[in-house]
Amino acid sequence: MHSSIFDSLSIILKRDLMIAFRRSSTYITPLIFFLIVVTFFPLALGPQESLLSSLAPGVIWIAALLASLLAVETIFSEDFRDGTLDDFFISLEPSFILVFAKVTIHWLITGLPILAASSIAAIILYLPLDSFIPMLLSLLLGTSFMSLLGALGAALALGKSAILSAIIVLPFSVPTLLMGTSVITSSLNNQDFSGFLMIMGAMLALGIPGLCLLTVEALLLNYE
Amino acid sequence: MLPNLKVENLSCVRSDKSIFDDVSFDVLPGHNIEIIGSNGSGKTTLLRTLLGLITQDRGEIVWLDDAGKYHNYRTFECLYQGHQLGIKNLLTVFENLNITKHAKGMSQEDIYKHLERVGLSNVNELASNISVGQRKRIAMAKWLLKEFKIYFIDEPFSALDDTATLLIEKLIKELNVKGCSFVITGHRPSGIEATRVEI
Repeated sequence: MHSSIFDSLSIILKRDLMIAFRRSSTYITPLIFFLIVVTFFPLALGPQESLLSSLAPGVIWIAALLASLLAVETIFSEDFRDGTLDDFFISLEPSFILVFAKVTIHWLITGLPILAASSIAAIILYLPLDSFIPMLLSLLLGTSFMSLLGALGAALALGKSAILSAIIVLPFSVPTLLMGTSVITSSLNNQDFSGFLMIMGAMLALGIPGLCLLTVEALLLNYE
Repeated sequence: MLPNLKVENLSCVRSDKSIFDDVSFDVLPGHNIEIIGSNGSGKTTLLRTLLGLITQDRGEIVWLDDAGKYHNYRTFECLYQGHQLGIKNLLTVFENLNITKHAKGMSQEDIYKHLERVGLSNVNELASNISVGQRKRIAMAKWLLKEFKIYFIDEPFSALDDTATLLIEKLIKELNVKGCSFVITGHRPSGIEATRVEI
């Protein structure tokens, strides 16, 4: 049974990554969007180092949050349209695996590029070098949680308007936004930020089983 | 010989409208059931209900396990092919077959053999570039990856030429001999040997 679960997981990951690489827009669009939003701030406000670095935590996090929601609608829509979602729900493997695999793929094609580009964003916004690691850690935990939330939104809005999933997810992303910006702001002010990271870690740890199971239920509603 | 699946007085109602009512049949090993009905008569809903994707309002669906006992949950893998066929446009014909759970442990030659069997030679073509009929042939090749006890196929004979229709009939007959059963849907009776259920 265990090997069967891992087989299913690895097959979904392999298949979806192959498809994502063949449709480059899936991972390039969130990345470009993130960098464009960040770049607009120095253009609009001028190159004032102190102003930009004080705004950096909020700017980086809002840009990351919106960019990660760009591809949310696609998490299940294609599988729903082409019938592969049916295949999974009638197989004997736990449906949790499908959702977990889809969340992982979403993070790999949106969260990971954002994480990689965040250092460039930090340089553009004059974020001190000392704050780079806290920023990366907060984005690592926060974008993973956003992928989980995104999957739930995508499942609830399956077959409906593309923007609906992002609208469902946005209000629930506020705690992540607050914690993420608090991590970077605390590091900017030389304060302890580990508490915020721990809360983000706990949200992720609870979110993996909790949100994956809720997403399975939301997906099943589409058949009724 | 015990039926692998027993369906008794199955009914489904949605928004106060009866989708299908009092459907009963047994799926014996090596035998087929053909559900006949017009468009919108609930054939797809019936297949999905049998597989547990939709909850029935009345009636029973019971499955035989390896120990010869019946349960109201499924204990064995089945193959389901709906109208959408489960084919990925951005994968090639070969990859659509190879990157599936049921192809695990199979050699490339085996996959090519199955594709050849259903008359597909353009194995490196992306599925987005092939015709509906050829996509149906990929779906047929999936039947050969593993012998399932029951195959649930929604309208297998639609959008097919005569050659492909004959091929499906031949494949079904071959799999019947091995003890596999088919539950298929259609608008009118097909050429396969089956118990017909009208809904």
